[in-house]
Amino acid sequence: MTDTIPEAPEESTRELPPVVAEQIDDEVEDAAPFRPSVRGWVARGLVWALLAWVVFALPGNFLSPFQLGVSDVGHASKAAIFAIIGLSLNVLIGYTGTISLGHQAFVGVGAFVSAYVVVDMGLEFWVAVPIAAAVGGIQAALLGAVSLRLTGLYFALVTLAYGLFAEETLFGITAFTGGEGGKNVPRPLGFEDDFAFYYLCLAFLAAVLWVDWRLMRSKGGRALQALRENPRVASSYGINVKAYTLMAFVVSGIFASIGGALLAQQSTFIVPETFNFQLALIFILMTVVGGLRNRVGVVIGSVVFALLEEGTLVHLLHLDGILDSTIGLPAEFFGLVIGPILLLLTITLYPGGIGQQVAPIAQWLRGKKLDLHAGKVTEVEVNDVRA
Amino acid sequence: MSVLEVRNVNIQFGGVRALDHVSMEAGEWEIVGIIGPNGAGKTTLFNCITGFYQPNKGKIRYRGKPITRLPVHKRTALGIGRTFQNVGLVKNTTVAENLVTAQHLEIGYDPWAGMLGGPATFAEEVGLRERADQLLELMDLSDVAEARVTDLPYGVLKRVEIATVLATDPDLLLLDEPGSGMGPEEAHALGDTLLELRKEFGITIVMIDHHVPLVTQVSDYVYCLNFGEVLAEGKPDVVRNHPEVVRAYLGEEPADAEPARDAEAASEEYV
Repeated sequence: MTDTIPEAPEESTRELPPVVAEQIDDEVEDAAPFRPSVRGWVARGLVWALLAWVVFALPGNFLSPFQLGVSDVGHASKAAIFAIIGLSLNVLIGYTGTISLGHQAFVGVGAFVSAYVVVDMGLEFWVAVPIAAAVGGIQAALLGAVSLRLTGLYFALVTLAYGLFAEETLFGITAFTGGEGGKNVPRPLGFEDDFAFYYLCLAFLAAVLWVDWRLMRSKGGRALQALRENPRVASSYGINVKAYTLMAFVVSGIFASIGGALLAQQSTFIVPETFNFQLALIFILMTVVGGLRNRVGVVIGSVVFALLEEGTLVHLLHLDGILDSTIGLPAEFFGLVIGPILLLLTITLYPGGIGQQVAPIAQWLRGKKLDLHAGKVTEVEVNDVRA
Repeated sequence: MSVLEVRNVNIQFGGVRALDHVSMEAGEWEIVGIIGPNGAGKTTLFNCITGFYQPNKGKIRYRGKPITRLPVHKRTALGIGRTFQNVGLVKNTTVAENLVTAQHLEIGYDPWAGMLGGPATFAEEVGLRERADQLLELMDLSDVAEARVTDLPYGVLKRVEIATVLATDPDLLLLDEPGSGMGPEEAHALGDTLLELRKEFGITIVMIDHHVPLVTQVSDYVYCLNFGEVLAEGKPDVVRNHPEVVRAYLGEEPADAEPARDAEAASEEYV
């Protein structure tokens, strides 16, 4: 048998595989960056214009060639406010990786503080918003300082308890909130009109978007990203993990309070019951379904859920009749039914949420090539949230 | 005055004594190697020095200043930088972004000012990126600056990690197995890089590695740990041929030291 074995060559004739690092270099060194043609720019411009029309004109049937059957611009204001709240929650769940189950309390504190300042202290709305933001930031700092000793699920439980405490006790203080009877909140001067108020909400949303964008492009946001992924590595970079988590909490509290202050003005009448646990769930649903860490996604998700809650979306799709008569489900509750289903679909199919699905269009609008797989790099993982 | 001084450090996890009266020192400009079999307590020692673990007993001093109870980020601010055994990088982002993140303590502006987007913050951000590019060039990594961390192989990531720690502007560099995942040739090149870094930045380096040729190539002094105790210390050649060290690695006393050396020489030639 021994003679059947071929003689081994003196040297190995096997060719060595190419060096991996060089291969990667080739991949990274791409050709000249893509530039859209003139026609490409025109197409992009048209889509931008359409988006601008949807945002600025459609809600009031302004410059609209056809009647859509929705003339309540209040719903649009609410959508913009929900977007602010969604971005607020995104700072916590998305950037920091800590889940808050009591966000309705943050929003409620903003709403009642601004209402108190306007109604009981007789000050202007422009003074009330900064005060509401400051109080919101301080309560977030206090809650954070106590509860951030805990992590994960235990932390979430503390926020849940705080939310329930705020709803039942804090907002029940009659002198502060008007108790069960609620409170009338007049709109700021010059913005009594629904349409004008909608623009005001948009301006606040733009400001929040700006801060959110700068946050993620600067020291604080990078620190949050590092500590979410790996707190040990973050601290070895010199990042004070506790302090920056607390900072994220305060930022989130400020955003939520601004949203709350606007919400109080928008409905012109607030009762403590509004800020129940159901609302906190809607906030989480809209943020996660919208797409964590994706500004565009969170805004779209928030708008969808705000319109679902108001029943506008169901009405627009002419589903309200069917829902009400066949199933006996009022349009306003549709959000809570469809929400969990959307959440399941998001977690299993599109971890990046709506943001992942609109990523190709968003990239294209920014002047990049249309790449249908742009959202495929899922930055969001299912086990992302440390809960 | 020594840069790092570890005195009689004890740490216990339940019934396991991970470190038992461990003392070590690293002087200015020195490269100190730490070797030892798996589970000897090398990384635990690093975790005590950087503050991830609090030793039950013992003292750690950095340039004469006691740091035993300082939190991790404050030790980084003092100038202690470290790498991790299983690559300590922010994975969901690019290499360059990691180096910018690591310059956290170098950033002059307040995080709140950065959030509001003051004009000064924009200018400083550009500077951070430039510094990141310089460090990447130094480590021969300019080509992968825009690559995502998850797309890169382990050996490259080990080098990226060193570049990232350098971005924290350390005086004392603790490297946990910098040569793992590298072939003999790459490890040799890494040794040259480390010597160069010491010259360029004037830093002290303490490194853990299993790669004995690499450790002997660059180290001025070597400690060998086994079962949480310092088994031997001294010049690299002395420690390598120390009978206790050989026994800890091979399990028995060598009949003759010469053949082992020949085998090693042969293996180096083969490369």
